[in-house]
Amino acid sequence: MLIKDVMHSPVLTVDVGVTLEAAYHIMLQRNIRHIPVTQEGRLVGMITDRDIRLATSPFATGGAQPTDTPVGQVMAQPVITGDPLDPVEEAARVMRQRKIGALPILEGEALVGIVTGIDLLDALLRLTGVEKPSGRLEVCLDDRPGELARLSGELAQQHINIHSLLTYPRGAGTVITVVRVGTLDTRRIARELRQKGFVVQWPPEIPSKRL
Amino acid sequence: MSVPVIYSPQYHLYNFGPQHPFSPLRLEMLLDLLEHLGHPLQFVEPAQATREEVRSVHLESFVRRVEAAGRGEHSPDFDHYGLGTADTPIFPGMDEAARWLVGGTLTAARMVSSGAAREVLQLGGGLHHAQKDLASGFCVYNDLSIAIRHLTEQGLRVAYIDIDVHHGDGVQWIHYDEPNVLTFSIHESGRYLYPGTGHTHEIGKAQGTGRKLNIPLEPFTEDDSYLEVLQMGLEPALGWFRPDVLVVQCGADAHFQDPLAEILLTTRAYAKIFPLLRQYAAAFAGGRAVYTLGGGYSLDATSRIWALLYLTLQGLPLPDHLPEPWLRRWGTQLGHFLTHTLFDPEGAYPEIPRKAEIERRNRQVTERMLESVRPYWS
Repeated sequence: MLIKDVMHSPVLTVDVGVTLEAAYHIMLQRNIRHIPVTQEGRLVGMITDRDIRLATSPFATGGAQPTDTPVGQVMAQPVITGDPLDPVEEAARVMRQRKIGALPILEGEALVGIVTGIDLLDALLRLTGVEKPSGRLEVCLDDRPGELARLSGELAQQHINIHSLLTYPRGAGTVITVVRVGTLDTRRIARELRQKGFVVQWPPEIPSKRL
Repeated sequence: MSVPVIYSPQYHLYNFGPQHPFSPLRLEMLLDLLEHLGHPLQFVEPAQATREEVRSVHLESFVRRVEAAGRGEHSPDFDHYGLGTADTPIFPGMDEAARWLVGGTLTAARMVSSGAAREVLQLGGGLHHAQKDLASGFCVYNDLSIAIRHLTEQGLRVAYIDIDVHHGDGVQWIHYDEPNVLTFSIHESGRYLYPGTGHTHEIGKAQGTGRKLNIPLEPFTEDDSYLEVLQMGLEPALGWFRPDVLVVQCGADAHFQDPLAEILLTTRAYAKIFPLLRQYAAAFAGGRAVYTLGGGYSLDATSRIWALLYLTLQGLPLPDHLPEPWLRRWGTQLGHFLTHTLFDPEGAYPEIPRKAEIERRNRQVTERMLESVRPYWS
């Protein structure tokens, strides 16, 4: 999944000369928290609702700024940006490391989109979510070449379609693999996988179950 | 007054083959059991649903493919419509076979909407996974939604109640934005079980918001917890919605013997659920209800649960011991002993160590569901 798949575009921007008050009202009106700041069409900074509230607060170092201060004096710069072809996890890593809530996306000099923390949560929901009716298999695989192929080969042989697949390491030497499969009868699949030596975590074996 | 039963020998045409869990044997065992209990089935034969009736819910592109598949034609896009998959394999005449089941549920709905009957039992159907353009989870055409559409077209408000262990996703999505259809599904959580949906945050959209209700249960939920949250969630919903008629999908796969899921009901729970639903029909829907079958893949459990449904609706006494000849015949055929009592014995499965936590979580999830829909009830 790439940034271009999750980013918002077109992007709302403000000019460096816009007042804090005007910028704040745009945020309230549009229900957003971040606005890229431009000068002659070029991205020069970012302004957030938090920046504005802090700058105009009586607690601000040096005292509260007047509400008609241009955003250019308060905005964060230089701006940390991303590229539309970066993977989403790259955006997540940058935002996490720099502790920022949004990433303007540049294609060369042109501002083409913005990604916020909320967009990344949406991406997580899409990656882990259920887009099609499907059952869930959780298999514990050895962390070595060919294990996933062995699992998907078994499923292919039983004519079972894989809708999505998520893996994450657990401890040393094992990888938990969650497969969403196009069948209601996951218990039968689990039984057959166990016979082939797979460690199936879900669905569990229950002796009282029978035809 | 006895409750009319809709049934046709043609229902047995809906057959995905001998290895498939959705087996016509379930019906055969049930009918044989009723006969051995001294209640040979008196039934009304339905009219087969027409293509136009199927089209009241399903898309033309989908219906055309079901027909083509049933004629033995091939097309690379069949699996895009859920046809020819592991769960819903293609078989000759599948369109006609599915239309018989639809016809049964539709006939039942018509009997209720015309006033010919208050309660009707359709001994088939309940294919709640089928979507408007997708066959899914053993379901080709959605007989329930087609019947519900007939009822709403007559100006009736319908409460759909789904006790199948799987989420009634097809019915929910088909009526997701409709204000006159309340859907209520209680099932093993989609976090663990097919189809993966049926979370508390699925509450409908547009005019239908607050009218699609889901109780996703913890795996290993037992009788008491199930009954507790069923009443806790359903009673206020029906009290508020005041339907004109209930459509009830009586899937039998939440039983502890069922091989496809992880809920642990005994037949003792079903002996309480069916009278409870009838009581709700009387209290909230003028006594009007259509009951259908549904999932249920333990032949032993399913035939007993649906016998309970039948006997409850007809007001017949519930026997304890099942007839020996029936037990012998089917035990021999299936190659294992069958439970010899209608009611499962106590301690039929090992004790569940997480019981208290499961009960707490089920209660919590039901509260959360009610909290999220109640703001839309006005």
